[in-house]
Amino acid sequence: MKMYFIYIVLGLTICNAQNKQILYEWESPAQSLMLNPGTNVESQYHYGFPFLSQIHINAGASGVSTFDIFGEDGRDINDKIRDKIFELDNNDFFTVNQQLELINFGWRSKNDIYFSGGIYQELDVIAYFPKDFAILAWEGNRDYLGYEFDFSDINLQGDLFTVYHFGINKQVSNKLTMGFRLKVYSSMLSFRSKNNTGTFTTTQTDGTNNVYEHTISNLDLGVETSGYASLRDAESNGERTSSLIGGAFFGGNVGVGIDAGVTYAVTNQLEATASILDLGAIFHRKDTENYRASGNYTLDGIELIFPEIVDGEPTFPYYDNLEDEIEREIPIDTLTTNYSQFRPAKINAGLTYNFGRTINRSGDCDCRNMGGKRTTVEAVGLQYYSVFRPKGAQIAGTIFYRRRFAEWLSAKATYTLDSYSAKNIGLGVSVKLGQVNFYVAADNLLDYGNIAKAKSVSLQLGFNVIVDQE
Amino acid sequence: MLNYKNFLFIFSLLCVLFTSCVRDTDFEQSKEITLRPVVELNLIYFDVNASQFYDSIANTPILTVRDTTALDFLDGEDISDAIKRAEFFFKFENEIPRDFQVDFDFISENDELTYSTQTTVNQGTSEQIETTIFEPIVEEEEIDQLTTANRVVVKVTIPSSSATLTGNLNLQSKVTYFLEID
Repeated sequence: MKMYFIYIVLGLTICNAQNKQILYEWESPAQSLMLNPGTNVESQYHYGFPFLSQIHINAGASGVSTFDIFGEDGRDINDKIRDKIFELDNNDFFTVNQQLELINFGWRSKNDIYFSGGIYQELDVIAYFPKDFAILAWEGNRDYLGYEFDFSDINLQGDLFTVYHFGINKQVSNKLTMGFRLKVYSSMLSFRSKNNTGTFTTTQTDGTNNVYEHTISNLDLGVETSGYASLRDAESNGERTSSLIGGAFFGGNVGVGIDAGVTYAVTNQLEATASILDLGAIFHRKDTENYRASGNYTLDGIELIFPEIVDGEPTFPYYDNLEDEIEREIPIDTLTTNYSQFRPAKINAGLTYNFGRTINRSGDCDCRNMGGKRTTVEAVGLQYYSVFRPKGAQIAGTIFYRRRFAEWLSAKATYTLDSYSAKNIGLGVSVKLGQVNFYVAADNLLDYGNIAKAKSVSLQLGFNVIVDQE
Repeated sequence: MLNYKNFLFIFSLLCVLFTSCVRDTDFEQSKEITLRPVVELNLIYFDVNASQFYDSIANTPILTVRDTTALDFLDGEDISDAIKRAEFFFKFENEIPRDFQVDFDFISENDELTYSTQTTVNQGTSEQIETTIFEPIVEEEEIDQLTTANRVVVKVTIPSSSATLTGNLNLQSKVTYFLEID
């Protein structure tokens, strides 16, 4: 029960914001393309090591760290939880985002279009802090007579799905590169509860039937799920596994989306980039199960009427009647209606200033880039990131420094200001040995000495084979 | 190829990445987490007329009226473990010129009396309604007895009655549960 409260009410479950500020416009063509389909790709072809080309995990909480609750600071943990409940507000959130690339490949065609495609699996969960109901669970209603506990605080969403994607990238002029990607989503499991309304209030007023009135007003509380009913009804783990795997391969619900991106060389040193990702939706039409409770009800208590009854006869079933009345006034409907869920669209944008020694691989002249961007040892720049979440956009700004130490070694350092932290330092290293590229990137490095103090943690790593243009 | 600067850079990075840890935390503290909500909840209410204490057909007084309601939530495993203290609040308003004895008998599923409490309600008149407050507190051993009940029997006893007796006896009640959930 305790951990249930901690994980569900405090919401320490959920993971993060998908900002891959280190990988954006960096070494690996596979990952750069995923973040900006219109990036400059210089390779002839690439393919990722299956299941290893990108492993990404990001978890975060906007207002609380593990240390805030479990730190050994001599304070009673219950006091710390109470303080946090009152410190957080209902716009604070907890997120988890995990991606595992199954395959990723790309090649340059004879007409100089770079095609790329692949499959990845993603888990994406966000839960906003349900402050009012955390207070109700922690404190009860005694000190909150007349206070309206608001059901709109309940707002969460989770998806487990597979993405099949294919894109094109073309340098259309010396200055401009554009790219698009089509994505097909295959949902394994989905749930969401949002746009809830209604209040719960305990009031003490004269002239009423009893001491209090416990009132639920204008309740409209819903949860939509897909892929859940078959999991629940499965009689064995084998059935559950095949249900999930079936969903991963178009056996469940599908959706479509697009990514689009552009790179523009403002000068041969200054480059502007922008992309929009996951502009699409998943259409849940199979294996859906939705629950909705709505209505108004005021509980006065149980009125006894002392009926004249013969010995042995039962009196009125007051309690059963009360339960029936509540179910009648606030019915909980289970529906199997279809629903559509927009993917959280992400916007990336960047401005990069390249400087230092030119390092074109062919020597003095990069003939493909005449008049366009110059590849240099060092670069600095700004990046913008936003993702559209149920209660509005979450935004991050990054400044970065990128340096190639040797032909086989480059690194990128970032400072990011986001919803979680104002001291987020990130670092990535990319190593290319022959045609094999390995990269690792992590942020919140200042908290790496004690990850418990970090409000978010993000890690990406992967192996790819990259063959450069001759 | 792997010059001193590059080596130092990679070594430093690996040190950062592979020496990261979770320190100064004690997840065993989770065992100490206890929710202690204090919940205010309406209980029963009634409005009994003096005529209910007299059988007008048989012309005989009815000295005790009783009624019963289930309280199914009370003996639920989670709730009964969680309730550590219950403060009842009964507010009687009497305009009948008789004192009353009111008994609250809590009965278990096995028809055993697990907890009982009673009070006397002072007589009033239609011109001067008498208010009687009764606030029994149940805790420690008694709370275990209370929470094994799943219904309450309310008995209202009048010392004497007649066909001419008029007025109402009104009850409003609530309970404050002090819960500990761990």
